[in-house]
Amino acid sequence: MDIKSFFIKRSVEIIVIFFIMMTILFLLFHFAPGDPVSMMVDPSMTSEDAQYMISQLGLDKPLLTQYLVYLKNFFQGNLGNSFYYGEPVIGIIGNRLPNTILLFTTSIIISAFAGVFLGKIAAWHKGEKIDTFGTIAALVCHTLFLPWTALIIIWVFGYKTGLFPLGGMLTPELWINPETNFLIKGIDIIYHMTLPLFTLCIIHFGSYMLIMRSSMLDVMGEDYILTAKAKGVSDKCICNHHIAPNASLPVVTSIGLSLAFSVNGGALTEIIFSWPGLGRELIFAVTNNDYPLALASFLFIAIVVLIANFIVDILYTYLDPRIKY
Amino acid sequence: MAYKTRYFNQASAFLIIFLFLFSCFFSCSSKLDRDILKIGISEEPETLNIWLASDTNSRKILSLVYQNLYIRDPETLKLIPWLAKADPLYDPEDLSYTVKLRNVKWSDGSDLTADDVVFTVNLIKQFKVPQYISKWRFVKKIEAVDKRTVKFYLSKPKAIFLTRSLGIPIVSKKEWSLVVKKALSKKKSYKALINHKIENPLGCGPFVLKERRCGAYIFFEKNRFFFGKGKTIKGRKLGPYIDKLLFKVYRSADVAILALKKGSIDYYWACIQPGHVDGLSRDQNIKVFVSKKSAFYYMGFNLRKTPFSDPYLRRAIAVLIDKKFIVSRILQGFATEMSSVVPKGNEFWHNPDLPMYGAGLTRDERIQRAYKLLALRGYSWEIPPVNDKKEVVSPSTIRLLDGKPMEEFTILTPPAGYDPHRAACGTIIQEWLKDLGLPVTSRPMSFGALLDKVKARHDFDTFILGYGMLSLDPDYLRSFFYSKNNRTRGWNMSGYNNKEFDKLADASLAEMNNDKRRQLIWEMQSVLLNDIPYFPLYNPTLIEAVNNKNFTGWVKMVGGIGNIWSLCSVKPAQGTSKK
Amino acid sequence: MTKKNNNYLKDIMERLKSGMFFQYLVFLWKNPIGKCGVVLLILFGVMAVASFVPPLIDPMYHPMTGVDPDISNVTPPGFNHWLGTDYMGRDLFSQLLTGSRVAFLVGVSAAFMSMVFGTIIGMTAGYSGKILDTVLMRTADMIMIMPTLLVVLLLSSLFGQLSIWTIVLLIALFRWPGVARVIRSQTLALKERPFIDAARISGASSVRILFKHIAPNVLPMALLFMTFRVTSAIIIEAVLAFLGFGDPGTVSWGMMLQWVWKTGNMFQAPYWLFPPGICISLITLSFYMIGRAMEDMLDPRLRKEGIQD
Repeated sequence: MDIKSFFIKRSVEIIVIFFIMMTILFLLFHFAPGDPVSMMVDPSMTSEDAQYMISQLGLDKPLLTQYLVYLKNFFQGNLGNSFYYGEPVIGIIGNRLPNTILLFTTSIIISAFAGVFLGKIAAWHKGEKIDTFGTIAALVCHTLFLPWTALIIIWVFGYKTGLFPLGGMLTPELWINPETNFLIKGIDIIYHMTLPLFTLCIIHFGSYMLIMRSSMLDVMGEDYILTAKAKGVSDKCICNHHIAPNASLPVVTSIGLSLAFSVNGGALTEIIFSWPGLGRELIFAVTNNDYPLALASFLFIAIVVLIANFIVDILYTYLDPRIKY
Repeated sequence: MAYKTRYFNQASAFLIIFLFLFSCFFSCSSKLDRDILKIGISEEPETLNIWLASDTNSRKILSLVYQNLYIRDPETLKLIPWLAKADPLYDPEDLSYTVKLRNVKWSDGSDLTADDVVFTVNLIKQFKVPQYISKWRFVKKIEAVDKRTVKFYLSKPKAIFLTRSLGIPIVSKKEWSLVVKKALSKKKSYKALINHKIENPLGCGPFVLKERRCGAYIFFEKNRFFFGKGKTIKGRKLGPYIDKLLFKVYRSADVAILALKKGSIDYYWACIQPGHVDGLSRDQNIKVFVSKKSAFYYMGFNLRKTPFSDPYLRRAIAVLIDKKFIVSRILQGFATEMSSVVPKGNEFWHNPDLPMYGAGLTRDERIQRAYKLLALRGYSWEIPPVNDKKEVVSPSTIRLLDGKPMEEFTILTPPAGYDPHRAACGTIIQEWLKDLGLPVTSRPMSFGALLDKVKARHDFDTFILGYGMLSLDPDYLRSFFYSKNNRTRGWNMSGYNNKEFDKLADASLAEMNNDKRRQLIWEMQSVLLNDIPYFPLYNPTLIEAVNNKNFTGWVKMVGGIGNIWSLCSVKPAQGTSKK
Repeated sequence: MTKKNNNYLKDIMERLKSGMFFQYLVFLWKNPIGKCGVVLLILFGVMAVASFVPPLIDPMYHPMTGVDPDISNVTPPGFNHWLGTDYMGRDLFSQLLTGSRVAFLVGVSAAFMSMVFGTIIGMTAGYSGKILDTVLMRTADMIMIMPTLLVVLLLSSLFGQLSIWTIVLLIALFRWPGVARVIRSQTLALKERPFIDAARISGASSVRILFKHIAPNVLPMALLFMTFRVTSAIIIEAVLAFLGFGDPGTVSWGMMLQWVWKTGNMFQAPYWLFPPGICISLITLSFYMIGRAMEDMLDPRLRKEGIQD
């Protein structure tokens, strides 16, 4: 199968999965108890007023009608209005999604590179102190309890030493000042991103490092390495040009497999660092019974995972010419 | 060895780039303005559309923009004229109220006229805005007599007109008339109204919204046209004394507290958990405010089904509940025990002379008293909770009046993530009830699901809920217990049905004389405490904290220091202002 | 590649079957990382067993409902309360011990259930082949990329508070695909073996073949995979409890963290904040270490499937 038909096949698959998920979620939200109107706890609101509101929001229609309306709107690019924001859901997601993707991709890229780099060192020095220490450190970091770690990191770096901001994505005082230019705004965002990024990387780099290490060890035993050694290629060259590129392939696979895991961690980090991303929005929407927003947020998170998976697969063919689909 | 040097070089190169970036950054962030009053809030205010706003943070933000005709005095809690010039004039002849307006300008400089008030009320009536409409149904007509005089015609005398109906925010005809026209042409007009996006609300409050960045901040500047500027109302000289006001969003309370200590915010506009108080009061710059709250936390019973339809059982449960324990341990003393459905702080309406149900008794005495109560009524046990020697023992499951053992029932509470106190109360009450052989489990469930069960489907046994912001006017007694409200999505969640109470409620609504109305309200309270459809538990106090380093002058009142008075009187602390 | 992999699996299977399980344990002990893991795990096991003791000494040590009559706020460690008390005057040490029991319960039962699901589905898919195989494996792929935590969180906040067993079941429902994949490939290899053919010819039904002939052969493998599933279950339960979506009737470490977080004692009571967090990390660490040590001696290629949770 060539790359083109692979592309088409996967795209169709993503679309099918997307619609299956949409339907399941729609049903779930429909059958879940509670609605936004019952959350309104103003004692002077009578039951007629509540009923009126429900009919205005279109929640009194039969299930099938509601679903068809939703589908119809979906194809017109309309995912409904949030019950609380009163704005089209698409706009809210469009506002949050870039923030999530920024944090998410940067954290994956940095932790993958850190993992490959450290894994390489550990494998090259197998059995030495640096290897043992590195492996144990990676294991410990990987098993840290994320929300707990995040709060402690905030306390140490944000409060005790005061080096970093306590949360959020930008310094409002800077942004309301019309003189602030884009460079400073950019740095401001990076500055705010440091701690959440640091937290995510600490948790994630460990697994990449361990995979890199063992796959390095595998490759080191292969015949062609022996050949290279026999040819008199320097150790440095062997490590960086013969072993490492081949050994990083499993890391790429594992990125694909661990995407879902990273999304979980990302959502938790967003909550604790007040990062205005989609994961936080989803949890907030769900607890408030804001179904249109919750449904769309979840769908978009799923789409991000699906597409990222897809990219990883393509990346894999690119990195490993032996693979044919 | 050569490798190690290279790793080191790479790592240090990264470090240097980082340090460079941050040194750049620190040099510019050190110039941050100290004149801005910074307030932390717990969630993103979701909308600036006043007709949609139902979340607390949107309401907080909008309370600075849209103003009311009358507001409460922070000390006496009496209604005082705000946009209005004087108290309304009541004419019993044609049941009309006449309100004269002050010389008020909208933040764009145009005048606020009687037309705007008429427009606002008509908007509520046209769109049946659910939050407000029930308070305006009995108003027959409203007219603008002249530019600054409005006249309201009531269909029958209602006591709540002054306190509740006139509490609506006044909106500008200029801002909304087009929106209204467009919305009315739609099939779902109310939906169109609340889905209209407001970028920059036009109000007449002390501040004007300048910029809003979703998920990050909301920035206000002083309103040049604010009517109260320099005026003295009820002995307070109004500001605002600050030029700029910044709202920052902190999603986690711990982080907000750290920000407060660090000085990143001057005030955290949300209730703080008792656990923070120790750490905060140790900080010199921090001042902790503990204010009363008009709130009501209670345990409710489903009177629609046995066995909770029996008032004796409800009374026995009331005897078993140790409010002192709840207040001192679960709420760490930051609450008062509630003895009536109207909070004690609401002195005028609160009835101090009500049955106390076991106050001051020990655990064993409570069990003995409750046992006696139920045994006399005809409940029985195989192994009673009190044995022949009058000692308290572990009982078997209670048998109901028909001789069958009681079935398992649940106490529904909000989840611990939403309110840890109510969830903890549920667990503790569960243990207490087990001492009497009542087979109960406490079950926290998500707030939406809980309300759906209790309010919409009436499928529950008992529950613990609360109202955080009760109006000071006790009109809610009627909402909560009036027999007509006993239906799907009605507020009478217990299914309480008492003809005597209904009569009192009707009378209290029509009674225009405050002292006579108080008699009726007191009577209603004693009926309720005798029947116990809801058993009042506690009224939490509101803990808030400010950082006094840059700004001082907060005004405390019921409901906390986050009020319009505070924001009109907060001043830069001496020595820090550059002016 | 797959063929080589299958040979590996076959090899392991044979060895596991031939009563060498005990030798593996010895081997595990010799591996330094494995030893570390086993020691930690034994420690937590002891904690879990010891959790039954404190409530017997005095009812005030009951982790959920017992309160010290003299203490009604947060207190630092002392003679009566080795780790101090929480805001209601409950003993933190007995809560910590109970947490270990809950962690084991959640971890092991969720892992066991996901193993059962995975084995059954994997066997069915591998044995039946054709459409059923495709459908099951596509479903597995789909579930595999779902963020489990978010899904469980969504469900638990939608349908009210979940009991600990529902949470366990949900975790298992979302964690079977990894097991199913491996079991399927093993079943595919087994299917071609003569003894299956023999069974089929002698008239055994498919169900009988699956459970009588294939299941015993794939079971050791499935059991190995349990180790990896335990950690993710423990973490998911902890996060749920931490965010306030856990079972309020159980005292788990996540619950303890939620109490310290929500009552505002986070940065004031380190003796309350640190122990549960460290315990969660250590118990996951111990399972990871054992898992890694097992991989080291079995097959590095399994790692890809295992560690990604």
